[in-house]
Amino acid sequence: MKRYSIVTIGFILFLSLLLSACSSDSSSGGKNSGSEILVGVLLPVTGNNATDGKDMLNAMEMAVEKINNDGGVLDKKLKLEVADDACDPQTATAAANKLVSKKVVAVVGGYCSGSTLPASGVFHNANIPMIVAAANSSELPEQGYDSLFLINGLVPDQAKTGADYFNDKGAKNIVLIHDNSAYAKNLADFAQKSVEENGGKVIGFEAINPEEKDFGSLMTKLKSLNPDGTYFTGYYAAGGLMLKQFKEKGVPGFFMVGDGSYSPDIISIAGAENANDLLVTATPTANFIPGAEAFVEEYKSKYDLSPGPFSALSNNGVNLLADALKRAESTEFEALKKALKDTKGFEGIGQVIEFSEQNTLSQSNFHIMKVVNGEFTLEK
Amino acid sequence: MEIFFQVLIDGLVIGAFYSLIALGYTMVYGIIKLLNFAHGDLYMIGAFVGFTLLSLFTGDGGVNTGILGLGVVFIGTMIIVGFLGMGIERIAYRPLLLAPRLSILITAIGVSLSLEYSSMIGWGASYKVYPIKLPNDGIQLLGTQISFAQMGMIVLSALLMLGLRLFIDKTIYGKAMRAIALDQTACSLMGVNVHRIIALTFFIGAFLAAGAGIMSGIYYGTINFLMGFTIGLKAFTAAVLGGIGNITGAMLGGLVLGILEAFGTFYMGGSWKDVLAFGILILFLVFKPTGILGAKEMERM
Repeated sequence: MKRYSIVTIGFILFLSLLLSACSSDSSSGGKNSGSEILVGVLLPVTGNNATDGKDMLNAMEMAVEKINNDGGVLDKKLKLEVADDACDPQTATAAANKLVSKKVVAVVGGYCSGSTLPASGVFHNANIPMIVAAANSSELPEQGYDSLFLINGLVPDQAKTGADYFNDKGAKNIVLIHDNSAYAKNLADFAQKSVEENGGKVIGFEAINPEEKDFGSLMTKLKSLNPDGTYFTGYYAAGGLMLKQFKEKGVPGFFMVGDGSYSPDIISIAGAENANDLLVTATPTANFIPGAEAFVEEYKSKYDLSPGPFSALSNNGVNLLADALKRAESTEFEALKKALKDTKGFEGIGQVIEFSEQNTLSQSNFHIMKVVNGEFTLEK
Repeated sequence: MEIFFQVLIDGLVIGAFYSLIALGYTMVYGIIKLLNFAHGDLYMIGAFVGFTLLSLFTGDGGVNTGILGLGVVFIGTMIIVGFLGMGIERIAYRPLLLAPRLSILITAIGVSLSLEYSSMIGWGASYKVYPIKLPNDGIQLLGTQISFAQMGMIVLSALLMLGLRLFIDKTIYGKAMRAIALDQTACSLMGVNVHRIIALTFFIGAFLAAGAGIMSGIYYGTINFLMGFTIGLKAFTAAVLGGIGNITGAMLGGLVLGILEAFGTFYMGGSWKDVLAFGILILFLVFKPTGILGAKEMERM
């Protein structure tokens, strides 16, 4: 059943790859020498993740427009060159090669970790710096590319944010639950590490099958463990059902979910009365970031919709690049790479950007969201 | 001890769902030796039809539906899906009754996929939230907490199963079904309308699956178009565990599987419960291939 749909999607992607490969040849010949600086954008603007991809692109275009209206960078205008990676590794590699052939000075973007990984290798070999705005697999920095910069927090940051919140609230005995997906298991593993570093104790480490609906006996087990806090790292469909049964069974302690469950659907599935006081570790959408009101208003008036989860980060990515170009006073690779690396206290929307040894954020941008009266609010 | 009873109750609730769906598998297998893999999807269709009826009948989303309205929706859904089950038999299975078993098995998988993806087109791919929420009131019994909703689920499925048992044992149609399970050719020679009885079997199987579907929607709160796949597999397991072709065996198999899973979750952890449940299934198949009740009753059904 699954195999069938994967084959179909693969076939369609293959066709679209052929088409895009044919069309890209007609308009080649990049030019940075004129009055423009060409910035590559690698995003899924088609396919399942196109909604978030377009949100990110919108936010980048907003940033570029603002920069250009303020006089541009190094007396030139920024211009975005968009390549569609469709969240597919093969398409992403072709898209990355297209950007290389257009001679972009740097690349901003990267949504799916799976497609960002191979693309980042192409850019690294071509000596083009990349600022990854959303993708946050810990495999990205592990490649050791010195020209790859990540401005979204990684899985360990998220785990630490959750564990620190529990610790602050005096919750010492923690139960961790994942759904057997690679991401959720990874997050749960890091959460265990963080909880134990804080002097807490993981009294239960459980897995569920996300296709099932009945967590009754698991909740009975939790109740008998008497936890101070429970952290579910999977996605909202199972998270909502679990939260409902958690409350119905009367399990004590906090209930916290990871960013896979950061969706209004978790509230409607669990029911507003059960969702109250639900905690979420996530990078908040711009609506919840103090000081982002102007950005949200502008975005809404321009595109007639609310910013998506990665809009602020994408906006920050372009602004960071412009800032680094100014500091480097050049579009040359080594100078730009050094300027990005030397970023100190760059203030973006909702985050201050500085890089660690591995070019990841030295200060996590994960926050705790809390549901109050059926709405997400920023807790910490 | 309280914990023991609590886990037992948890297992009974999920086991009741398995039993209701396992009945459909086992009835169809008993009569025409077909593993109807589309059966789990009838459970899903039941949940969606119930969802649509509830939203239709009660303009405000069904929050104020009384017991009576709920009963009407229940019966209505079960009859609609029952006829759908008959239609599937007429279109997809009857022309293949004399074909090799493998052809009809593949057809069943085709029907399953058609049902899943036409529901996706009709109702959308995202999770739907049921318009009814059950109150969480309940009683304390032997130190365990049982909600009225849980009691209702268990009682309702027990009633449905009891009704089926009586139907098969006491009515002329039930007798015809048992006869067909033994020898189809002899039955048609004796003037039994074999096709009609087979259609009736499909109707009853789909009827019960739809009941389980709508119960699951109300009890758990969410439905989506793939919800029938996993539970269908589990119910099939339950049917085999109880002795496929045997009605009482399917009921028992469902409850046993549910309870095994609950205890597996509690004592070994969530990731181990399927290992425990299916490990026991394998042991059963090795040492007693006919299932718990398979060999005791020679006569099928």
